[in-house]
Amino acid sequence: MSTTNDTGADIVDGILDAAASVYRFFEGRGLQTLAVFTIVSAIIPLTNPSGFEMTVITELFLFGVLALSWDLIGGQTGYPSFGNMAFFGIGAYTTAILVKSFGIAFPLAFVVAAALAVAFAAFIGIIVLRLRGGYFAIATLGVLLASQQITRNLDVTGGASGIILLQTPTAQEFYYLFLAILVLEAIVVMYLAQTRFGLVLNAIRDDEGKATAMGYNTTYYKTAAWMLAALFTGVAGGAWSLFNTFVDPITAYNTAWNVEIIAMALLGGSGTVVGPILGAFGLHGLIRMVIDTYFTGWQLVVLGAVVITTVIAMPKGIVGTIEEHASAMEYYKHGGQAAADSSDADVADPGDGTVDDSGGDSP
Amino acid sequence: MSLEPILRTDGVTKRFGGLTAVDDVDLDVERGEIVGLIGPNGAGKSTLFNCITGSLDADEGTVTFEGQDITNWSEDGIARMGLVRMFQHTRVYGDMTVLENLLVSAAEDRGLGNTFARPSSEAEEHAHELLETIDLEGLADVRAGRMSFGQQKLLEFAMALMADPDVLLMDEPAGGINPSMLGNLIEYIRDANTDQEVTILLIEHNMDFVMEVADRINVLAHGEKIAEGTPEEIQTDERVLDAYLGRE
Amino acid sequence: MAIEQYVVNGLLVGALFAAVAVGFALIWGVVDIINLAHGEMVMLGGFVSYWSVDLLTGTNSASLLLALATVPIAVAVIYVVGYAMQRTLVSRVTDEDMFLTLLVTFGLSIMLQQLAIRAWSADPRTVNVMFETTSLNVAGLVIPKMKLIAFVGAIVLTAALWAFLKLTRRGRAIRAVAQNPEAAQLVGIDVEHTRATTFGLSAAIAGGAGAFITMILNVQAQMGLIYTLKSFVIVVFGGIGSVPGALIGGLLLGAIEETTAGVWSSKWTLAVSFTILILLLVVKPSGLFGPAVEGDE
Repeated sequence: MSTTNDTGADIVDGILDAAASVYRFFEGRGLQTLAVFTIVSAIIPLTNPSGFEMTVITELFLFGVLALSWDLIGGQTGYPSFGNMAFFGIGAYTTAILVKSFGIAFPLAFVVAAALAVAFAAFIGIIVLRLRGGYFAIATLGVLLASQQITRNLDVTGGASGIILLQTPTAQEFYYLFLAILVLEAIVVMYLAQTRFGLVLNAIRDDEGKATAMGYNTTYYKTAAWMLAALFTGVAGGAWSLFNTFVDPITAYNTAWNVEIIAMALLGGSGTVVGPILGAFGLHGLIRMVIDTYFTGWQLVVLGAVVITTVIAMPKGIVGTIEEHASAMEYYKHGGQAAADSSDADVADPGDGTVDDSGGDSP
Repeated sequence: MSLEPILRTDGVTKRFGGLTAVDDVDLDVERGEIVGLIGPNGAGKSTLFNCITGSLDADEGTVTFEGQDITNWSEDGIARMGLVRMFQHTRVYGDMTVLENLLVSAAEDRGLGNTFARPSSEAEEHAHELLETIDLEGLADVRAGRMSFGQQKLLEFAMALMADPDVLLMDEPAGGINPSMLGNLIEYIRDANTDQEVTILLIEHNMDFVMEVADRINVLAHGEKIAEGTPEEIQTDERVLDAYLGRE
Repeated sequence: MAIEQYVVNGLLVGALFAAVAVGFALIWGVVDIINLAHGEMVMLGGFVSYWSVDLLTGTNSASLLLALATVPIAVAVIYVVGYAMQRTLVSRVTDEDMFLTLLVTFGLSIMLQQLAIRAWSADPRTVNVMFETTSLNVAGLVIPKMKLIAFVGAIVLTAALWAFLKLTRRGRAIRAVAQNPEAAQLVGIDVEHTRATTFGLSAAIAGGAGAFITMILNVQAQMGLIYTLKSFVIVVFGGIGSVPGALIGGLLLGAIEETTAGVWSSKWTLAVSFTILILLLVVKPSGLFGPAVEGDE
């Protein structure tokens, strides 16, 4: 594939080829992979890890959920939001208030929190989903910040100091709770990706006007994806409020985390199921295991740097780049045959009137 | 064959500020026909298309499809009814595979019940059949955006056929196609017309192509319809020649 | 307090918002980037002013002359920062998806914020400008002298930028690049340098405004994002290419904020501003006075 004698490029190509093969192996074996992951994760607490390790892994699951939810509306549907954490905050506060002030049991509180987050998504969706790309992103940032401000100003939410919770479940229970939410979401997204619903979302991302012209009411689909993302993000928020034993406006409606989950989705590979999860595990793992220990206080600086580097150097993310490479190999394999068959269907170069033969196309 | 034209515009007018892009155009297409729409650049052909498909709202006039007044219908509603269009600047879903592009366009799987199901085997069969016909079978798993322009054009055509249209609006289908391939294209269009009973209305600049493939031709100039007839009639029509050569 | 007082307060500070917004609009219009790190230029300019005073007097108090002298220093330093930012980083994503440039500039914003916190802590700092009497009394309204001076300063900065764009060669080059980069290149304009200059100017005016803000309010490591979003509101309202629009928008926003704070409560000003942001975006992203933005193809 490399046309130069550059050893560096050869090495990179070699790595990508190997990665592509690994990718091809796992492709189509999603459920099995997920099953293995679930079993391994379920066993870990039984091997007596430290409190810190339990906390970090639980957080990995949390960010996996958040990144995957972001990607559902951002990467799959093409509506990148700077304000998904609004759902997180709503879920967190709803749960906290219900549990603390009304003594409601956690499971029921989660259900209500999720319902509220979804309702909020539907309401906000009507307003913001008609905006495109960057404008949508800024509008959602406005939503997040407005929610943060409103929550900060109300008494029922404990104002700027927030709400403190007591009597919460054990570390192990949280571990399994977040694991369950992540696995559930992974299954849902994995399934949806194979259905017409998933295909339409991707079509909206690639060319919304075309999707409309082909007969899809894109508003329904966008809103559904948005509400689904809100559902899981809201539940995660609810669970987190208990896990953290404390909710306050800045942490619950967290602009930095929103950027972080975008970085995770992008870094891992937007538009895939495994990409955002891998990105979440990798980035959060890096931050907690390395940065927190050796470069305390630099987390957000590193985050900013990661975001910038990912966008500039690797916009398709790790999984995306591998997928692309695998797809390129596919095209070349078939490129020879298909190109010969359909080479006549090519563009006549308008400039000099000669034929552009697709046989020599580069990716 | 019913007496009503399957598609009809009556007095459709569209203005943009001071410019009247489409001026009181009456056009009809009979079921089973292949009708051409020609005219010099800026004549309003694509705008007329947009008014028909609902992506623009006509200021005056009506559009009737299968006997129904669809003038104010939504773009997606009109497409679902069986009036599908292709774009001049070929539009496909670039990051999805060729097969996915076809499956997402499938008419077989319409309906709420199928939304959360995998594409049906009928849809898959249909997709593979179409791929065979247009010779892109080997590229089924390739990202659509990776293909050459000509291949994407064929894909867009196949996607339109997947939607099982009653009427297909084609916007410059011959544009950018290798001349040696035009014969194939005419064949594909004729096959769709006869085998799948697709009525076709096409905009085209390539005169040889449109004269060859169309049963009837409408001519637009400066937003107005100036002539209508068989290819032979149009080729000798004074008004048409004037419009193309700039004589007013 | 009477409503007129709130309005006057709002107009006084609104001019600074306008100056910041004009810089924001410049980048948007010329380089076609919505720079989410713009507010950090305000913050950094403020700190330049603060540390200059600290360097020269060892305190945070200054005479009016000294304080005003820090403004051109802030302008110069932040110009360099802005120029460098565009040249090294932002230029790499200029042609990308709008969202990606937003993401990069947001990442930059976070980094700058955090670096500022590491360097100077999150505590707010002020430059105390010494007056014999701190305010004037005009027609029953209290007008703090420093706010009045800042108001004038903001107008001066804005006017200077406007004059630069209209009258100098570089300014004309900038406008050329904004209208048609290819044509500009063909006539020999160094497009990259021009874009970086624009970025520098935009940052510079924000930095200058930041210096004034430090004198009338305070500077704090995390204040950037709010100024960025306020700029966005103002520009969306006034129109991307319109300096008068930004001026009116800034004054209006200032007036609305101060009145909200006075009549209702200051804790609601931000919520109101952010809601206005969302509503404006829905109504018309390119501003009420600007040209229509192209939607669908």
